[in-house]
Amino acid sequence: MTQFSLKASRVQPASWWLLGIASAIVAGLNINPVMLLVQIAILVTIILLAREYAPWSQSLKFYLALASFVVAVRVIFRIVFNLPDDSSPIALSLPQLSLNLGFGGNITLLGNLSSSSLVSATSDGLRLAAIIISIGLANTLANPRKLLKSTPAALYEIATAISVAINLAPQLIESLQRVRRASSLRGRSKGLGALAGTIVPVLEDTIDSSLSLAASMDSRGFGRRGFLTKKQIISLRLISLCSVVLTSVGVFLLLVATGSQLIALLLLAAGFLGILLTVRTTSKNSIRTRHKKETWLLQDYVVATAAIAAVTASLLGWQT
Amino acid sequence: MISIKDLTFSYDGAESPQLTRVNLEFAAGEFVLVCGPTGSGKSTLLKAINGLAPHFTGGNLRGRITIDNQDVTGRLPHELAELVGYVNQQPEGWFVADTVEDELVYGLEQLGFARDRMSAELARVSKMLGLQDLLDRPLSFLSGGQQQRVAIGAALAAGQRVLLLDEPTSALDLDSAAETVDLLKALAKEHGVTILVAEHRFHNIIDKVDSVVVVNNDGTVAKGYTHWSFEDDLRQPAIAGADVGEPLSPPSVEWALTTSELTVKYADQVAVSSATLNIKPGQIVALHGANGSGKTTLLWAIQGTGNGSKAVSTGTVSVAGFGDPRDLKPRERLRAITMVPQRAADLLFLNSLSEELAESDRFAGVTPNSTATIFAQLAGKVNPALHPRDLSSGQQLALVLALQLVKGANLLLLDEPTRGLDYVAKRHLAEQLKSLKSQGKAILIATHDSEFSAQVADTELHLIDGVIQ
Repeated sequence: MTQFSLKASRVQPASWWLLGIASAIVAGLNINPVMLLVQIAILVTIILLAREYAPWSQSLKFYLALASFVVAVRVIFRIVFNLPDDSSPIALSLPQLSLNLGFGGNITLLGNLSSSSLVSATSDGLRLAAIIISIGLANTLANPRKLLKSTPAALYEIATAISVAINLAPQLIESLQRVRRASSLRGRSKGLGALAGTIVPVLEDTIDSSLSLAASMDSRGFGRRGFLTKKQIISLRLISLCSVVLTSVGVFLLLVATGSQLIALLLLAAGFLGILLTVRTTSKNSIRTRHKKETWLLQDYVVATAAIAAVTASLLGWQT
Repeated sequence: MISIKDLTFSYDGAESPQLTRVNLEFAAGEFVLVCGPTGSGKSTLLKAINGLAPHFTGGNLRGRITIDNQDVTGRLPHELAELVGYVNQQPEGWFVADTVEDELVYGLEQLGFARDRMSAELARVSKMLGLQDLLDRPLSFLSGGQQQRVAIGAALAAGQRVLLLDEPTSALDLDSAAETVDLLKALAKEHGVTILVAEHRFHNIIDKVDSVVVVNNDGTVAKGYTHWSFEDDLRQPAIAGADVGEPLSPPSVEWALTTSELTVKYADQVAVSSATLNIKPGQIVALHGANGSGKTTLLWAIQGTGNGSKAVSTGTVSVAGFGDPRDLKPRERLRAITMVPQRAADLLFLNSLSEELAESDRFAGVTPNSTATIFAQLAGKVNPALHPRDLSSGQQLALVLALQLVKGANLLLLDEPTRGLDYVAKRHLAEQLKSLKSQGKAILIATHDSEFSAQVADTELHLIDGVIQ
């Protein structure tokens, strides 16, 4: 009996992704900036506690930087492109600029900023930030190679592309460090762009390495398919593409909550049905086998339950 | 087992084909060495057999290849996966899994083996390669030799009858290289696998193989069964143009480099321990040691920036005329010490040879064409419009040496300079180093190429687990 552990490698990558996606949904439904901050803090704590040393788990800093950038941009945009609002007290008073571009009347920039629009800009930004960190959680904790193994055959090609791309990031960082060190050995005269000296060798390195990964996978039989005709393959791809679009539109409607919820749910259901159909058909025809059956352990059920509970709770809270 | 008829292969836009009208036959269980100068079609020949050429390399293939009486011409690599196993030059870049076991079964999973047969094949292949005790290990924790065995195992797991290896020993130290060659021989003799090895470091393999294929620069190919008939072809005289200026009188200092009690630590792990070594002007010292013994770390510690920010060095280092390189400003350090790292090409970043040479003159603040003159002395005449990446490995190394030497440093540190060089290029490099030595430069070379260091070094040191013996 293996022990209960919430370390990244002891939990199925699928569970981490479930948690990440659930957290993204919760964040999308949340409009309270304090709660969003709490959620971000919880996510970062989980990442710090669960992560182990692996090339793909070193990117937390990157996600945090991206999230802060998004919040800053959102707030700055609101301050610059300010819509006059007299319903709440003024939080920030800036000189107003009027621009006449010769069409569509005057455009006003800056000016008096009400506290409510400042709060709403901040919570918009924080919501995006929480979604980014949710995906970051899945990406830093789930082993991309193990995830690739447990993906259904229909999504296999997409998953391969994604996991090659995920592998690219640590490779990029590694070769960036090596090339920087090498170029410090040579030195570089002033007028020469620092970019030219680093980007060229780094990109060359990275492209080489992802090509060789692809060549290696192909040499060992990756890419074989079962007995599907070309027509079947094309129609399956079409169905899966449509399902993905339907699902995305459904999620969008559900999140912005302007349209009818019924339509949103119907679209979602149709999308899931399509995905299920393609997964089942291609799985039957896949020749790929698996050496070990991945078993779900206690920790997986804990993570998955937490994910589902969080989504359910926030959906209910939002309904009432 | 393999039959190649009238094979011609050319890359798009190339003037002459890589392989020209190649006709070859290989029997089952034959152990074959494929050799030839760098840039000849050695790798291309291997890649054509399993379909990587042209499907991954681009280019145009004519002719006919059959394996086990099946016509495989133009087939994709994954269609040939159960017939042919392929092991790339750097196995670590080719691993697709995290642990040994997952890596070994990857091909079996792709080919759709049933679970019980998969276990049987895994047991068979791990026994054949002595990997039974390593199955749970992460691949990144293995030594170079162990990684090579895993790569070979993964290529043979589905019972492939043909094994192709591109430079399997070039990144290994001598002992691991010898072990790998013996292992391949056993696979050919006891298990009847047809093995083709492309290698230019062939002195430790040529006695073990059944036959030798030589790929010439013009793309023609010859096959024979004894090695002496090829020796004359390959040991041709070195290219002219390597005579570097007149010997200068050696600088009037006793030691070009002195270090004492130099210790380098990563966190709490000691990489180099109490290294004391002294080099005179005009002396070439070779530093031997297995992979991971601390050679590279020692060079970077002497160079003064350390290998990565986490390395901490203690002890004294002193370069004649400059003092401790760790205290120098970056620009001064470049004038004191020239270092050429393992991947020399990392130092090249412009679009043509002439731009690289001009940038070097500008940076060093020397008269135009100074770098070009040194480069010409080292490498002879080369078309200045060429892209640096299109130069041969030997020419790239010469270019990097020229860029570095023009700054006038009297101490040279070279990290594995012979990696990827063929015999002619290596001989050439040896002559370049000897003429630098006659100018009074002190040279420290980290290498596991003992044949090369015997040619050039005055003193040989051995580094074992971070300690100079």
